[in-house]
Amino acid sequence: MSFLAPLFLLGGAAIIGPILFHLIRRTTREVTPFSTLMFLQPTPPRVTKRSRIENLWLLLLRCLALALLALAFARPFFVQPASSQPPAEGVGKRSVILIDTSASMRRETLWADALGKVEAAVRKAAPADEVAILAFDRTARSVVSFEEWGALKLDERSAAVHERLKALAPTWAATHLDAALLQAADLLDQAAKDGPHPREILLVSDLQEGSRIEALQGYEWPRGLEVELLPVRATKLANAAVQWLAEGEETGPVDDEAPPRLRVTSSAESKREQFQLRWGDASLDVYVPAGQSRIIKPPKAPTDRTQPLSLSGDEVDFDNRLFVLPPQPLALPILFAGPDADDDPRGSLYYLRRAFPKTRRQRVEITAHRSDEAIPAFQLQQAQLLVLSDSAPAAAVASARGFAEAGRIVVLPLTSAAGGATLARLFDQPALATPEATLKEYALLAQIDFQHPLFAAFADPRFSDFTKIHFWKHRRLDAAALPGTRVLARFDSGDPALTQTPLGKGTVLTFASSWRPVDSQLALSSKFVPLLGAILEQSSNAPAQKAQYIVGDEIALPVADAGFTIRQPDGSDVKAAGKFATTDLAGIYAATTGALRFVVNLAPEESRLTPLTPDRFTALGVPLRKAATLSPKADPKREAQAQAAEVESRQKLWRWLLAAALLVLLLETLIAGRLSRSTAVPHQATP
Amino acid sequence: MAATTPAAGSNFLDPAALMAIRNLELRARTVVEGFWHGLHRSPYHGFSVEFTEYRPYSPGDDPRYLDWKLLGRTDRYYIKKYEDETNLRCHLLVDQSRSMSYGSRGYSKTDYARTLAATLAWFLAQQGDATGLLTFDETVREYLPARHRPGHLRHLMLALDKPAAGATTDLAAPLRRIAELVQKRSLMVLISDLLAPPETLETPLSLLTAARHEVVVFQVLDPAELSFDFATAARFQDLETGRDLFLEPTLARAEYQRKLGEHLTAVKAICEKLGIAHVQLSTAQPLETALFDFLKVRADRGKLVRRRAAA
Repeated sequence: MSFLAPLFLLGGAAIIGPILFHLIRRTTREVTPFSTLMFLQPTPPRVTKRSRIENLWLLLLRCLALALLALAFARPFFVQPASSQPPAEGVGKRSVILIDTSASMRRETLWADALGKVEAAVRKAAPADEVAILAFDRTARSVVSFEEWGALKLDERSAAVHERLKALAPTWAATHLDAALLQAADLLDQAAKDGPHPREILLVSDLQEGSRIEALQGYEWPRGLEVELLPVRATKLANAAVQWLAEGEETGPVDDEAPPRLRVTSSAESKREQFQLRWGDASLDVYVPAGQSRIIKPPKAPTDRTQPLSLSGDEVDFDNRLFVLPPQPLALPILFAGPDADDDPRGSLYYLRRAFPKTRRQRVEITAHRSDEAIPAFQLQQAQLLVLSDSAPAAAVASARGFAEAGRIVVLPLTSAAGGATLARLFDQPALATPEATLKEYALLAQIDFQHPLFAAFADPRFSDFTKIHFWKHRRLDAAALPGTRVLARFDSGDPALTQTPLGKGTVLTFASSWRPVDSQLALSSKFVPLLGAILEQSSNAPAQKAQYIVGDEIALPVADAGFTIRQPDGSDVKAAGKFATTDLAGIYAATTGALRFVVNLAPEESRLTPLTPDRFTALGVPLRKAATLSPKADPKREAQAQAAEVESRQKLWRWLLAAALLVLLLETLIAGRLSRSTAVPHQATP
Repeated sequence: MAATTPAAGSNFLDPAALMAIRNLELRARTVVEGFWHGLHRSPYHGFSVEFTEYRPYSPGDDPRYLDWKLLGRTDRYYIKKYEDETNLRCHLLVDQSRSMSYGSRGYSKTDYARTLAATLAWFLAQQGDATGLLTFDETVREYLPARHRPGHLRHLMLALDKPAAGATTDLAAPLRRIAELVQKRSLMVLISDLLAPPETLETPLSLLTAARHEVVVFQVLDPAELSFDFATAARFQDLETGRDLFLEPTLARAEYQRKLGEHLTAVKAICEKLGIAHVQLSTAQPLETALFDFLKVRADRGKLVRRRAAA
């Protein structure tokens, strides 16, 4: 036990007080009036045995209370068993060095500085220390792991690290600092299973403001872990960046003349306000005050639109190139097999034609096949979706069957009870009964399988209300009639409304009630277009393409048996199928065959170069290492005192002592009161 | 008067209970009637018959003294005034100093002294004796000359009832004063605790005896003063001087009683020397016994006188 303020213990000398009083003050204060003192002489008071013992307990209580008070004021605390002291020899530190390889590290000498800092940290490592190095931008990848470090001999370490670091280079990706820190912390946590080591994370980065740090909020950092920031600073911070606002591209109106919108941002440290934007031969002067952004139209596009736009006039260069290429709309032909007329509002085709608006992303063409012959093969090959009327001729049905077996979707809206025959022919089955259902007034869709991809867009409660759609007539499908049928929607009577049945590699979607106005209000509702769009998307298996991707994004490719060969901006070719993930360079990626192409640009956050201050990290709860104090001389003593004060303020023993002193005083008061009451009664003289 | 020993106190009222009667006159009457009752003697009304003159009647006068013959003759009311010549002239000297205000039984010595004085006044008034009053502490407070008038008794009671201002005990000045005031020979009944140095008592008392008054001293003491029965150590405060003293009563009792005894003996000696009858009373004693003692003293005095006369 040691004390923060040991001088207060001298206050314990006050214990002498009650002892003195106990010895000296024997006279009571009680006065007995008497007629005359003529016959009386003062006698020395006699201390009876009983009074001495009673008073002794009171004396002890009072002395105890004073002693407790003196102790409380002296602020005692239990010295912590050396957890904050440096560990014993032989227990080394574990460090993880994080090195930023994002696009912003390409500036000036930042990369060289960072490498220098890493190598310095490696050199400073004690023999018992263990160091791991992780390079991060969007993801963290191991440069040197703990095992590899352990395998290296002492004198090999610096050289091996140098070699590995030479192989590193800054990429073009964004900075996901939070993921990297969390990964490093997990790595240290895992390694910490074998005994206590002091753990630290050294972060070598330019700590730009555009780094993503949100995910650090609420993370429970392991105890004993410290993060040290080793920032590399650039001298030039005045940066302007240009960004393509491509979100409106996908859903905007089809207008080839509308130019892409660009945003030019200027950082707060910019000294200039005039920048130049060049695209091919055309150039445009842009005026942006410091710290603000402007939205502008680009200069006239050159004939080769794959050329990048370039911005000039700022001090930082790496983010001044932008690729702008509007997406090419996909051609999606849809076949309709049936006798419906084009402009007959009582038929299904009429609504089908109006259900697919032309967008920048897709161009839907609907071809109607009315003849009795089979559908031509080339049409079948190109078509993405087939809508079969149930009064289509047998040959058309056979073609539809082949279409579905090839792996596409055939949509069959039943218009009458005779539709069952077409359904049966489609599946090459004996006749299926689809009698007309008797409805009271109308039927409503009751159960909908929102898990199915078709209805996935409607899963949100805002869009899931199908009860506005009234079905005047529908046919009763037997879900068990065809094997593998999945009911996607049911009427309120329980009858299936929409079923999906596999056929070969594809599926058949059967509507129990077609969308003709005589059957239902489906074509007139707001759910029709998205539903058909979802069916088309399912059928064509072409995932929605974004107009602009960021470096490092994973691009979903359309389904194709052979896969695609993608030409990268640096000229090399890469084969990919399903997903394309090697978007490491900004530029235009195009498939060697077909019209598939993607635009990949730098992340706009990389242009925000203002360094983060340490209190941003502290605010998110990151345990930063406190900066070293200025004068190392006064340091150990003051630090020891500060530590002692901290320990004491955690333990707060003085509160317990004070409470104990109060209790003792209370006890003393009670006992003294009881004693005085018992002696007050026999105080009157007996006659 | 033949003095029979009163019945063993059980018939007599406990002074504490007596003090519960607020009215002093009522108290006195209770005692006297209780006394007579104990003695199985009936009181008798006696008055002197020396007629002097008539006085017109005014409402409130005692109708006993109406002259009926004169009323029949003149049809007017007249009171007969009688000579104040009585058997006895008595003065009651009541000490009301602060030392008298001590009491350990719920009432003070002053209360007891007053009641005693009231009782004696009543008794004597019934006997037809003229009674006067002098209350004093270190100076004379109240003085009423000895009269036997209707209404005088009431005056006496009222004067006795007056609260005591109370200061120190000094007998010299008041006794000197009474000696000056009263010329004719009378009976002086001094009711005091006499807690003053005996030397200071001798001179004043001798003044009275020198004036050929008959002096009876009732020394009223509290039982606590007599026995000093205190148990716990305390600061004892003198009521007159205010001085206080811390002492252990158990240790001091022996010494106290010795000194008290000496004092009482000295006082008795002085009284003997001066021919003063001395009666020591404790406030625990019923007042009837005090009255009896008074009568005994008178009776003894009468015997002494007759013996002297005879001798």
